[in-house]
Amino acid sequence: MIQVKSYCAVLFKSVNQTMWADKILEEKGILHKLIPVPRHISSDCGVCLRINSDHVEEAQKALENIEGFTDIVRI
Amino acid sequence: MLHKVDARGLSCPQPVINATKALESNDKILVIVDNQTAFENIKRLATNKGCSVSEERKPNGIYIVLEKQGTPDIASQVKKDEILHHAIRDEKVLVISQDVLGKGDDTLGALLMKSFFHTMAETAPSPDVIIFLNSGVKLLTEGSPVLEDIQILEKKGTRLIGCGTCLDYFNLKDRLMAGSVSNMYEIKEMMLAASSTINL
Repeated sequence: MIQVKSYCAVLFKSVNQTMWADKILEEKGILHKLIPVPRHISSDCGVCLRINSDHVEEAQKALENIEGFTDIVRI
Repeated sequence: MLHKVDARGLSCPQPVINATKALESNDKILVIVDNQTAFENIKRLATNKGCSVSEERKPNGIYIVLEKQGTPDIASQVKKDEILHHAIRDEKVLVISQDVLGKGDDTLGALLMKSFFHTMAETAPSPDVIIFLNSGVKLLTEGSPVLEDIQILEKKGTRLIGCGTCLDYFNLKDRLMAGSVSNMYEIKEMMLAASSTINL
């Protein structure tokens, strides 16, 4: 069976906060990728962090107290 | 009763996320937003989800009613998008990736940029699209030394696109004086669909 990877997007209020969160995930060794916010979510809000759905809990724990943390949504 | 999503005062992309969540458990929702960008994003969401849209502009916000219309025809929409995105348009696209023209000396670069935009505004032909990246977005905002010429170009029909991430980075999103805000997907498409892209 082919396993389809499922991803979530971690969203922040500003690009500076996203860059900060990117650094934190890097330091904690949580796999992620910085990507433009998917176009079905918005036309203009810049970048977000894509994580594998399996890592949602650890990412949430690492990031939820960072200023500007908005939401984690399935993409 | 109509399910209401009050997204006024929320920053992008929260209105779309809240509306998406509401559509999971309701067939018809009312979304209230307070700016044009959020309105455009909600309309795009409606298209993606196969919803009908009706809008009403009131003094305290834009009221949008979304109603599901059966299953969205995603396959045909994707195909349409693909055709659109792969078509080469006979367009000239200019990419301005800094607020000065050329490398070497920034004082000279600032002067050259003024001279360049003056020439662009005064003489034909005009580019079809100008994309502003990195510190180039400063040219579209309050205090831009070339704003007057940029507005002339816009009136003549040149599409001006400011990178949203860049405007956000420099904290200039609410100081945009010309053009519109866009994302990397659209910027990539315009660059690759153009018959020529000139990078400055």
